[in-house]
Amino acid sequence: MKIKLNKPNIKIPKITIYGIDVIKNLGFFALYIIITLLAITLIIAPSIKKFKQTQKKYFEAKYEFNMVNNQYNKTLNELKMLKKENAKILNAFRRDFNINNFKNFASQFMEITSIEKNGTKPFKKDFLTTIYFVKSKINSPKDFYDFIDALKNYKYIVKVYFPINFQKEGKKILLTLKLEHYRLKNPKALKAEEKAH
Amino acid sequence: MRVYSFVKPKKKPLLKEDTKLWLIFITISFILYISFGLFLEIKSYLFKKETKELYNQTLTLKHKIIELNKQKEFIYTQKALYEDIMIKNQLVKQQIQNLLDLIPDPITLEKFYIDHNKLIIYGITPTKDVYNLLMLPPLESIFEQTITYFYELPNGWYKFKSENFIKSEDENQTE
Repeated sequence: MKIKLNKPNIKIPKITIYGIDVIKNLGFFALYIIITLLAITLIIAPSIKKFKQTQKKYFEAKYEFNMVNNQYNKTLNELKMLKKENAKILNAFRRDFNINNFKNFASQFMEITSIEKNGTKPFKKDFLTTIYFVKSKINSPKDFYDFIDALKNYKYIVKVYFPINFQKEGKKILLTLKLEHYRLKNPKALKAEEKAH
Repeated sequence: MRVYSFVKPKKKPLLKEDTKLWLIFITISFILYISFGLFLEIKSYLFKKETKELYNQTLTLKHKIIELNKQKEFIYTQKALYEDIMIKNQLVKQQIQNLLDLIPDPITLEKFYIDHNKLIIYGITPTKDVYNLLMLPPLESIFEQTITYFYELPNGWYKFKSENFIKSEDENQTE
């Protein structure tokens, strides 16, 4: 026995206003709304979320960069100032000792009879110290005091150290002392490193 | 039977005008949505790229700051060493000055040798008492051990050798 199903007779009513099919337009409007909502949900919203996140990260990175850049500039200025203020000391540490120059300098205070170099050894991590034994004649202890005072403005870093021997010889005093000259281990490498900045 | 019409047949368009308008509108809207999404993606990519660059630059600057601080530290080290040397020079001067101030008028100094922890003085004194009264007490107050040798001269005065020791830890060389 065959069951005959009747086709449902659904008919969309055709409503027209001034010749415009209202139902069809409503259908298209609904389609447009669906497409818009889908686009917002699937395309625009995730993009905005991602954009906001990356923008936030960018501004954070930029803020950090500005902070670090300011700090760098500040440190650089401080370093420049420090170099300027201590130029005399820094240059003095870079110079190699010149015995003739020292003789000229010391001749204002004493008559040098001999200077004997007694080896160089490392001092701390970055310095070298060279020991010299100096024999000289002075007129009075004041010459020795003046010599020590003048070392402050001398182009080399020189330390007067023990043993010191004062011996009367006629009207003069024979003075034997130990000098230590300090300089940088590798001034050229340091200069190159500084130029890199 | 053939049917005739008085109206000329018109071409029936596949889509009606309003349908066309809707389809164009929806297509344009869809393209705009995709374009906007794409624009945001590109912007995000550019932000990401710039963030990475900024991060690298920040890292480089941080390394540079560390280097600059090292240089600053090294300048301070040099300055400190220079000041230490100058102070030690002044101390040497002061020590010699103090020693010479220590010698009383009646005593003549002939020679002295000063080292880190010892002082040897050679001189002439009119009497042993003068030395013992005027020179020995200050020496004893400074040094832990004082040994004096006297040698009588033909004129009755005394040559003396005073050896003075201190047991301090050698503060040698700012090392």
